[in-house]
Amino acid sequence: MKNNINMMNKIVCFSVFLLAFFSCKHHENEYHSITDKIEAESKDYHGTSISSEAYIGEIQTIEITEGDHTFLIPERKSQIKSYACTECHSKPLSQMKSKDIQKAHWDIKMDHANENTMNCVTCHNPDNIDDLRSLTGHTIDFNTSYNLCNQCHTKQFEDWKGGAHGKRIGGWAPPRASMTCVNCHDPHKPHFESRWPARFNTQKVKERE
Amino acid sequence: MSSNNNKKWFSLNIGRKEKTSSGSCSCGKSSGGCGGSSNAHHMTNEAFTEAAINASIGEERTKDGFEQVFDVKMDRRSAFKKLTASLLIGAGAVSTSCSVISGDESKEKAQIDWEEQFKGNYKLMTDKEKEATVDRLVRSYQLRTGKNISMSSKNAEEDVLFGYAFNISKCQGYMDCVNACVEENNQDRNSQMQYIRIHEMKDGKGFNFNEADDNYYHEVPAQGHFYMGTQCFHCDNPPCVEVCPVQATWREDDGLVVVDYDWCVGCRYCMAACPYDGRRFNWSKPEVPESEINHNQHYLGNRMRKKGVMEKCTFCVQRSRAGKNPACVEACPTGARIFGNLLDPDSTIRWVLENKKVFRLKEDLGTEPKFWYFMD
Ligand code: SF4
Ligand code: SF4
Repeated sequence: MKNNINMMNKIVCFSVFLLAFFSCKHHENEYHSITDKIEAESKDYHGTSISSEAYIGEIQTIEITEGDHTFLIPERKSQIKSYACTECHSKPLSQMKSKDIQKAHWDIKMDHANENTMNCVTCHNPDNIDDLRSLTGHTIDFNTSYNLCNQCHTKQFEDWKGGAHGKRIGGWAPPRASMTCVNCHDPHKPHFESRWPARFNTQKVKERE
Repeated sequence: MSSNNNKKWFSLNIGRKEKTSSGSCSCGKSSGGCGGSSNAHHMTNEAFTEAAINASIGEERTKDGFEQVFDVKMDRRSAFKKLTASLLIGAGAVSTSCSVISGDESKEKAQIDWEEQFKGNYKLMTDKEKEATVDRLVRSYQLRTGKNISMSSKNAEEDVLFGYAFNISKCQGYMDCVNACVEENNQDRNSQMQYIRIHEMKDGKGFNFNEADDNYYHEVPAQGHFYMGTQCFHCDNPPCVEVCPVQATWREDDGLVVVDYDWCVGCRYCMAACPYDGRRFNWSKPEVPESEINHNQHYLGNRMRKKGVMEKCTFCVQRSRAGKNPACVEACPTGARIFGNLLDPDSTIRWVLENKKVFRLKEDLGTEPKFWYFMD
């Protein structure tokens, strides 16, 4: 009887060993999926020597921090042709509306939401035309105009911060530099135009004939 | 002959030794050749060299730039002819070690051809050997066209795994990416081979590639349609690599799936094995107008190919390994294309994978493509 129990013990022990042996048949560096692999291999990520800094080139940038994300965006004010606005707008906006004052900004045609929702002063500060103004009257600098857009476009803002919306400047490697809203969207007319494709493959047509 | 460095191919030093010996030769004369009359050969040295070079690269001396590089005869007869010619030169190398200076360039070309012909698979080369072949190709291009290119043999960087994400809701079907790709990668203009395809799909029909149009030409985006781009997805478990009988295609450590154009025998097994239509076979010799050639090249990327080899998207290895975005990413005006390092937890590509609802094509095949799709 005692012998039997001993035997049983041995068998159980052996099968546990076998189980342990076969259940870890995956070698090191072999993963079930690419996502597992990425997770495992990025655990001890220490950065690379590759940098995209050189490719940002001539573009002047400013660093912003929004939530968990810190990155560069192009500086804006030096890119606006007639900044500062006060060089022309010497009087408050309400007074500029009178007929005898020279007409300006004739090329701006508003095509952004509808008239109920937006007009010039939804974004521009009528009292200090050099600044932008939030819906609740806070001053917003031209350089960080994305703070205006994110009042309505919250979802796009989240994606932009993370990098799912918008375009990188330079390369993929750090430091990250991303276009800001107004670099791709005309704030007065933010949608993308429809147009013809950049090319047409005539050979494929021949192949199909 | 360099026997001390352990190359994997046999090489001669016809052209190069001469330069160091400053024009004088073994027979003691400093100019005008050694003279053939006292020689045991039936031909004079000059005549021998001339004949050998003519047999080897004779045509190239009359052809110009483009033809020289691309019009490489691939049929058996001329390959054999070339081979014997190379051997002939090799055999005569000692006796003709000093000849008129005008022959130096031809000799150097022959030398390069010889070494290129017998070089090993790039995948198995040491860094030194990689550099050597790249140097030879650059020199060869210079000798043949009089123009300079830069070619890199930069290896995969540690801690880098490249990945790509494509925003289906952003793509407008402009095809600016296709344009940029053709120009960046020196693709053949005549056959209009393109690595990228943009598929125009009907809303509400799902991802139906059979009904999609990848060659539309009308104003885009078209009503009731969406656009989806495909190219090589750089699978982490690539079936195309598995089937190659000569290991001319492989996965690099940074995840790029590449082709050694000089090792590929053009069997097209890989093309058949790819479930994503990622590979392109060049049926004709690729031609690019000299003014449009991209001179920034990588051995595994956009360097000049010959006829009859497999090509495909390399995530622009010549750009990506230098920290740039691939040309398609840079060209896309809508920001629908996102590229980056999957191992960097702070990268934008990682944010996309972790925060958007991403998917890949034919995920059930287990090919593990590193190309994800997502929507806003
Ligand atoms: S997409 Fe096709 S060609 Fe590219 S790695 Fe995958 S199987 Fe190979
Ligand atoms: S075509 Fe070239 S790369 Fe493809 S399987 Fe054949 S030899 Fe290999």
